[in-house]
Amino acid sequence: MPQVIIDGKAYEFEGHPSLLQFCLDHGIELPHFCYHPSMSVPANCRQCLVDIGAPARDRDSGEIQLNEDGEAVIQYFPKLQTSCSHIIADGQVVHTARTSDKVKDAQRDTLEFLLINHPLDCPICDQAGHCPLQIQAYKYGPEGSRFEFRKVHKPKKVKLGPRVVLDAERCINCTRCVRFTDEISKSGQLTIIERGVKNYPITPPGVSFDEPYSMNVIDICPVGALTSADFRFQARIWEMASTPSITTANAKGSNCYYWVRDNLVLRITPRANPDVNEFWLPDEDRLVYQQFNENRPNGPSLQGDSGMSSWEACMQKSVEILKSSGKQMLFIASAYATVEDNWMLLQLANAVGGEVAGYISHVDLGHGDGWLQTDDRTPNSQGCERLGIPPIDLPLWRARIETGEFKGLYILEDDPVASDLCGVESLMELDVILHYYHTTNQTLPSSSVALPAAMVAETIGTFVNDSGRAQRVVPAKVIKGTNRTLMMQMGLSRADRHGTPFDRWHNESHYVDCKPSWEIIPMILKKLGVDTVPQGPRRIMQHISETIPSFQGATYEAMGLSGVELSAIDTEVII
Amino acid sequence: MTKATDWKSYQRVLLPPIKNLHHLNVYREHGGYETLRNVLAQKSPEDVTTEMKRSGLRGRGGAGFPTGLKWSFMPPVDPEKPRYLCCNADESEPGTFKDRQLMEYNPHLLFEGILIAGYAMTLKACYLYVRGEYASWITLMEEELAKAYDANIVGENMMGTKHSMDIIIHKGAGAYICGEETSLMESLEGKRAYPRIKPPFPAQSGIWGAPTTINNVETLACAPLILEKGADWFAAIGAEKNPGPLLYGISGHVNRPGVYEYPTGMLITDLLEIAGGMLGGKKLKAVVPGGASVPVLRADMIEGVTMDVESLKEAGSMLGTAGMLFLDEDTDMVAFLRRVARFYHHESCGQCTPCREGTGWMENLITRIDDGEGNLRDLDLLLDLCDQMEGRTVCALADAAAWPVRNTINRFRQDFEKRCRPATWVVNA
Repeated sequence: MPQVIIDGKAYEFEGHPSLLQFCLDHGIELPHFCYHPSMSVPANCRQCLVDIGAPARDRDSGEIQLNEDGEAVIQYFPKLQTSCSHIIADGQVVHTARTSDKVKDAQRDTLEFLLINHPLDCPICDQAGHCPLQIQAYKYGPEGSRFEFRKVHKPKKVKLGPRVVLDAERCINCTRCVRFTDEISKSGQLTIIERGVKNYPITPPGVSFDEPYSMNVIDICPVGALTSADFRFQARIWEMASTPSITTANAKGSNCYYWVRDNLVLRITPRANPDVNEFWLPDEDRLVYQQFNENRPNGPSLQGDSGMSSWEACMQKSVEILKSSGKQMLFIASAYATVEDNWMLLQLANAVGGEVAGYISHVDLGHGDGWLQTDDRTPNSQGCERLGIPPIDLPLWRARIETGEFKGLYILEDDPVASDLCGVESLMELDVILHYYHTTNQTLPSSSVALPAAMVAETIGTFVNDSGRAQRVVPAKVIKGTNRTLMMQMGLSRADRHGTPFDRWHNESHYVDCKPSWEIIPMILKKLGVDTVPQGPRRIMQHISETIPSFQGATYEAMGLSGVELSAIDTEVII
Repeated sequence: MTKATDWKSYQRVLLPPIKNLHHLNVYREHGGYETLRNVLAQKSPEDVTTEMKRSGLRGRGGAGFPTGLKWSFMPPVDPEKPRYLCCNADESEPGTFKDRQLMEYNPHLLFEGILIAGYAMTLKACYLYVRGEYASWITLMEEELAKAYDANIVGENMMGTKHSMDIIIHKGAGAYICGEETSLMESLEGKRAYPRIKPPFPAQSGIWGAPTTINNVETLACAPLILEKGADWFAAIGAEKNPGPLLYGISGHVNRPGVYEYPTGMLITDLLEIAGGMLGGKKLKAVVPGGASVPVLRADMIEGVTMDVESLKEAGSMLGTAGMLFLDEDTDMVAFLRRVARFYHHESCGQCTPCREGTGWMENLITRIDDGEGNLRDLDLLLDLCDQMEGRTVCALADAAAWPVRNTINRFRQDFEKRCRPATWVVNA
């Protein structure tokens, strides 16, 4: 196999890798700004310069020339080469800054140049703390600056579009954003204008940077030049905890991080997963961050009181309703809820003997773009289908509910009134038990028992995306009350950053009084005298993966952070 | 057999003294396009390239790459894939104005050269990328090209043969960087003129990814002469390793600035004499022999130096485009360098970090020195910046910006030191 010697150590390689990517893949750090693995290579930042050579060969014989010690004579390129644009060839010898002062100097010089016109406003910059320029300037840059002139001034806080704000002075002209709109999203909405040191990216005249993927340029910007209109100046990076999870605004299940400070989700950024979303995340997946913080319920409630009943009282009421309705209880599953929650609902329906109508389908035809947006606006309709729960045929079930066939309605994490499954009038006659996320839920006023349910950022569970990939989520923020299972899954360092109930500074009002449905339903079942086995999301999923063939292999261990592909099934789609 | 020493008897060939030569009929009356006809009828493409190689012609655009060799780099013809010739007429190097002269006075020689080159490389289209500021000569060439089309010299089945070729005149929008061959191609494609990384070289992937050869105007204008009079004739003119007629663009403090056609390898002192000597009889201080980016030569360095690649290299400079700038004894070298630095700062495309940031910093420093605010350490910082820019960018603009700074400071260090504030201050206790 061909090999390359990097800093004196031999590595074998296959195919034609670029030197920079090869080094990154093998844990050899090379500073760089403009290079991005999924885009073309402009080699314009000149930061990843390395010294490359190859054994000198005799012109006539083709033999490798040896010096007096019998070692191969290495012939180096006359100039330093950018490793991003260099394709490795067999036998080449590479020196990075670790073994070559020439390279070290060049990398330091480039950073000195990059910083002379950079505003160095790190103390107020959103990027500070995870800024490639800041990090690499500390690691590879010069001690200080010899630049004694007025810096070049460029436009600041330019609103490129509804969601992205530009600070052109911070820009180092790596052109990642322009290449993103040219090569990845293909909107072509950004370009570089001006010339030389006045260069900066902007939209062409009359164009707004409003494409559905615009916020990705914020993530790939190696400095703080492109910032989110929403997140700008909201939090320092080190005050937040990021939790790997998935997004739920559509059926793609793009991998993401939830960024939380003081128990509020402040932003959502992509998490690389080559099998799902690569490095990207549509704007719609990010803009939903407020739904975890706003209009959240303040505890369970019974009809008539103003929302401050105890969980115990609500459970008791639910049991009464379930018992009195019996077989005339109708259960509605949810494509917003996890597989575990829906499975639990099935167990409850089974115990009571009621009928499961299915899940309410939220399809927005034409919304999908064949990439990371889908027509389906829910994260888990596949998960429901695989549990044997069909989408609800709205007119049919609406008619059945209106005829008074049922005495009670048990709704899992959805809003049948808003979805036009039933009118408020028809609910007047019914006992309604509702698991809900938001106080804006239109079924809430008609519900007899309203039980706040944990959202994706607060729960543990599994979602199955539109291509049949099972992915699990872990809690990114804490709920009120103690749930040992949730606390165990919380990031280890998270409690330190965001406070525990024992920290005096933590803000109690940011703790939503809700419970995951996989905790609520077993509590009700217990009161009904039914002991559910298994308990807890991990064991539930283990059980599901063993008993339901279409979930085969979907254990928490197998899913890990990047999910598992399940075998394909036929899905029923009702529009 | 014209050697540089016999320059007084030199007969001009690129710009012959014929009135109205730019008109197609005048050009044809003087044997124009006959070489093309003969080439198409009698020579194979390989013969033409061989002849070019034998002539020893080196590119006149500044880099001096052997032209015949460049032509031979074109890959074998693939009937599925287009291939292009591109004529670089984006003449923007300060002190260079020779291509303009050719386009104004002898455009058909250029067209004929393009058609011959196209035949030699078996291609069907040539883009003539002309500097936008040359608007009136673009109009002139467009008119003359239309006449050539009407006379079936260019276009489908040109001159009644089975060969076809088009010439497309493209107007640049005024950027120095577009003279760099790869950014010229980007500009032609309608993109921002950022130079491309090489490899791949234009011969593998040029305009729209097709194999492309890029030649300078004067280079292509030499082709008909070589094929008409023979490679031996050409090789015998001027300097041995860099032969042929050469257009010297002479400017600066001389009595008769202008474009002069003479053999390569002329003594710089002879050229000064040709240009009528120094203005006002002053003494020569410095010569920039090949456009603003080549290293400046002090008056005492030009003794016996001739205008060819080898001799100038030995003297510590380069032939470049042979755009010569003579500076007299009263020239303020700091102000001169300030202007040069300003040019490169203004023209840096801003793609690569060292050039984008370095050119501006250099101008800042030199301006400060020129304004009498500079420090001695600024000179060393300038030299440092040259090291930090040279050879670390995609194209050669950073080199072109660094060389004049480095060499002007090194060769006229005292002029600069005199303008700087002293390194130590006397403190009155």
